[in-house]
Amino acid sequence: MSKQNQIPEVDIVVDEKAGVIREVKDERKLRSKSGHERRVNTAIYVILVLMSVIWLAPFVFLVFQSFRSYALESGGMVNYLLPKTWSLDNYRWLLSGESNFIRWYGNTLFIAIFCAAIQTVMVLSVSYALSRLRFKGRKLIMNTVLVLGLFPGFLTMITLYFLLKQLGLTQSGAIPGLILIYCASSGMGYYISKGYFDTIPKSLDESARIDGATRFQVFKKIIMPLAKPIVIYTVLMAFMAPWGDYVFASYVAFGSEPNYNVAVGLYRWVNVNDYQGYFTRFCAGGVLVAVPITILFMCLQKYYVEGVTGGAVKG
Amino acid sequence: MASVTLEHVEKIYDNKVKAVHDFNLQIKDKEFVVFVGPSGCGKSTTLRMIAGLEDISAGTLKIGDRVVNDVEPKDRDIAMVFQNYALYPHITVYENLAFSLRLRKMNNEEIHKRVTQAAEILGITEYLARKPKQLSGGQRQRVAIGRAIVREPAVFLMDEPLSNLDAKLRNQMRAEIILLRKRIDTTFIYVTHDQTEAMTLGDRIVIMKDGFIQQVGTPQEVFDTPRNLFVAGFIGSPQMNFLQAKLTRKGDAYAVEVQGITVPLEARHCAILAKKNIQPMDVTLGVRPEHTSIRFDDSTNAIEAQVMVNEMMGSELHLHVITAAGDQVILRHPTVDLTDEQRANLVYGKKIYFNFPGKVMHLFDPKTEESLLNLD
Repeated sequence: MSKQNQIPEVDIVVDEKAGVIREVKDERKLRSKSGHERRVNTAIYVILVLMSVIWLAPFVFLVFQSFRSYALESGGMVNYLLPKTWSLDNYRWLLSGESNFIRWYGNTLFIAIFCAAIQTVMVLSVSYALSRLRFKGRKLIMNTVLVLGLFPGFLTMITLYFLLKQLGLTQSGAIPGLILIYCASSGMGYYISKGYFDTIPKSLDESARIDGATRFQVFKKIIMPLAKPIVIYTVLMAFMAPWGDYVFASYVAFGSEPNYNVAVGLYRWVNVNDYQGYFTRFCAGGVLVAVPITILFMCLQKYYVEGVTGGAVKG
Repeated sequence: MASVTLEHVEKIYDNKVKAVHDFNLQIKDKEFVVFVGPSGCGKSTTLRMIAGLEDISAGTLKIGDRVVNDVEPKDRDIAMVFQNYALYPHITVYENLAFSLRLRKMNNEEIHKRVTQAAEILGITEYLARKPKQLSGGQRQRVAIGRAIVREPAVFLMDEPLSNLDAKLRNQMRAEIILLRKRIDTTFIYVTHDQTEAMTLGDRIVIMKDGFIQQVGTPQEVFDTPRNLFVAGFIGSPQMNFLQAKLTRKGDAYAVEVQGITVPLEARHCAILAKKNIQPMDVTLGVRPEHTSIRFDDSTNAIEAQVMVNEMMGSELHLHVITAAGDQVILRHPTVDLTDEQRANLVYGKKIYFNFPGKVMHLFDPKTEESLLNLD
């Protein structure tokens, strides 16, 4: 009796056409299952919407503030969200040349592009070498670099400052100084692109070498076109780090206003200068900083995702 | 077109593992040589050393008269076909074929001529504009071969080129490689783990195991006179049967006693044994499945056995039987000689008899595993 109870309740029919015995699920159960699914989905979407609101709120706030009229309303913090008068006052002022903003923007762009170029070359060549060549100490180098990479960069802040000072690369020399700092350890970021290169079969290299290519030609003509996603990922990462950096930029350029980058310059407006007079301008500056990054991401999104996942899932 | 000479070539990996031991081989110009052996026997490593993809730890490698130990792969005048095709996925078939020619700075006209010619030989003209991804396995294999053909290399290396294809396609491509070889007539070195490929393709076969050459010879030679137990078991399908036996001698006449029967050796073999002055001893007897004959009721001078498995292959039967002494033996018998009744009777447990003539027997020393019937 008890054994019979354990048999699951299913309807079984003989499908004569197919000549098999089939299990037929109770339709009522099917419906209730889809109802359950719908409830779960709703819950998931509610959570997702809440999360995106939390994430987006600061940006929306920033954008609203940046469009508040400087002439007609306060330039500082106010207790309402939507501007009473929409205007481009803040942007106009930033781009008018009255402020150092354009110069800072230029500094940052220069540093970021320069770093992106150098870092991309360094990262990709280091990763390719570690992925393809076998030499003494390869494992040791890889592990050491990995462990070193776990320490936060600012641990070396004070040492770096004095080193740069001796070389005359602080204050007025801040721009080359920063480029040096950002690029110096760029080879250490080999990990993701090495993972990606590892997924490209070695026999392609070998085949190309037999076909008459030098190591560099293999890299240029075979590996690079195949590694487009990871190249783009590397460029993006290399561009973004100096573009948004505050910590290093703030102390290397300390006191030399024309050599600030955007982040430092904007921050010093609200922090040191007149907080009430600069807040909306600060917000407008923030929006302008976000523009190139947003465009870059929109255009390269497809590759970016491929790059990250491609490196992660080793084929 | 060139000969390839390997003298005392060795490969020792960084972790001190010795993959190839004292490899000596002279490959003649325009010869088709097949390296065959189980995985890990060093056949691919040897090929990769010839290609220049692996360093040579010791010994000399010559292509033609030139020592190429330290010559870059691109300067060795070789072409290689890889097991996984190694086509460049981002460029078209045409560009794949043209890749090596472009690197040689050949003019476009000549490139076009060679590429279309190779495509024609291989029947891939209509796929030239496609990317490798859009091709089937067999087509990709053709492109890989085409990429090697356009180079007109002195030596053509192939590393298990057919092992990624399904059985039917493999047979077809095997035949095509034989035709291709007739057409482009150059030196071929071919690596495979499949003894059928080795037998059908090679002018000479190099059988390897654990980094040592076991035997070098024409397919007929290695089949007829395997030098040792390993070669005997590796070449031929189904595998050769091995039985413990006793060698007896009366003057210059030798015979083998096995499982209750006595089979005299033929004069040719007796002469060899007598010349080596072999005394009566325990031997390992090898008999190929196709060299046995089945008896249904005639037990005179035949070994009794019980059928375990009957594999019907169509034109022939593979009978797995177990002898009264408990040894498993495979018998291969053409189905055309059997009556319907006999065929129907060959089921599990059926008692049959089998024997074999003296001339098909292979004798091996159980200790050294070397053949006793080889003179040298």
